[in-house]
Amino acid sequence: MALRELSSLEKYLGLKKPNKYSTQGDKKNNNGPPLVGLVTIACHLVKEAKRPELLGDTAENRAVVQQWLEFRVTKLDGCTKEDIKTILKDLNVYLQDKVYLAGNKFTLADSLVYFGIHPLLVDLAVQEKEQYLNVARWFDHIQHRPGVRHHLPPLVVLRNRIYTGRHH
Amino acid sequence: MKLFVSEGNPHCLKVLAALDVSGVQCSVQFVNHEEKVVPFLSRPALPALLLPSGQFLFSSNAICRYLFELNGHESSESCNQWLEWEATVLQPALLRAFHVAVLQGKRSEVTQVLKGPLNFFDQSLSKGNLPYITGEELSLADVVLWAALHPVLSEATLVSDEHKSVRTWFDRVAALHSCQSAAQKVLQGKGLQAMKSFMQRQPAPQSSQCRDSPPCNSN
Repeated sequence: MALRELSSLEKYLGLKKPNKYSTQGDKKNNNGPPLVGLVTIACHLVKEAKRPELLGDTAENRAVVQQWLEFRVTKLDGCTKEDIKTILKDLNVYLQDKVYLAGNKFTLADSLVYFGIHPLLVDLAVQEKEQYLNVARWFDHIQHRPGVRHHLPPLVVLRNRIYTGRHH
Repeated sequence: MKLFVSEGNPHCLKVLAALDVSGVQCSVQFVNHEEKVVPFLSRPALPALLLPSGQFLFSSNAICRYLFELNGHESSESCNQWLEWEATVLQPALLRAFHVAVLQGKRSEVTQVLKGPLNFFDQSLSKGNLPYITGEELSLADVVLWAALHPVLSEATLVSDEHKSVRTWFDRVAALHSCQSAAQKVLQGKGLQAMKSFMQRQPAPQSSQCRDSPPCNSN
């Protein structure tokens, strides 16, 4: 999963060097020992592609990007069934007045949190998804960004509540 | 900018040490473990940093990294890698170790619980043969890993002393005034026992899931 994410990210960034990853998930680094860790490698790729704005354009936004990248690998990965509700509920509140996770632009945080949240949303019933409209709106926006989705199938999400009642 | 911390919370040790090392000016407020500081999170999350823009950072490594960047120290890739290892591999093991030692009173099991991560860390340190984790100078990785390991390594006999390189490195970082003062503020010289009320409010660790492998392999 993580390897496919990194390869999707490489394609998005326009880096064309295949077979850079060993099965251990290591990134063969030209100038030193191999790098380990999804966030570490993803940040390295962004720098390699000379797209520093994807890590945030101000010190504060860089911090917020790192915050969500850490959230991805510590909270989303390996979360339990009970965690999922809390995670989606919190994200839904956070995204209430936001288009992207950090600042007013698309960043690496949107991409890696999108990859991490995709498996959580796949399993949700339509009625459940209705509770997280802000997450659905953000998710749909990110999945329709050219070049982001790659290895994942598109999900049908409701961007607006069509029915007001719970039962239909 | 305002930093919210609570006593007996090991993650707050990191940010207080990082704040002191970085020399950044920031007001610090001690609050209760249960205080909901970050408005969008349904569970209490400390430490938390209120940024000038009104946004919150709600995890310790992101806060530490920001404090260092404000002081002109952007973290290197090697440093980033250790921070990610700390958050994804060491922390789940530490949570289990604190759980058995503080709540179940089984101090003898701590060595076994931490064996994998400590072996890995020890080998990396002895291979590098440098005074600090990423080189000749103290970096954010040293502050974060020192703070993470402080509750277990500062108590004599809690962890077997087979990890010689870790011990040498730990004592070197622990000698810094910033680290000593942060430890005093958070644990007040009471060691692991100071963490009891914090640990009682944590969800029980998932004991079956051992995440010793690098994060790339775990999903």
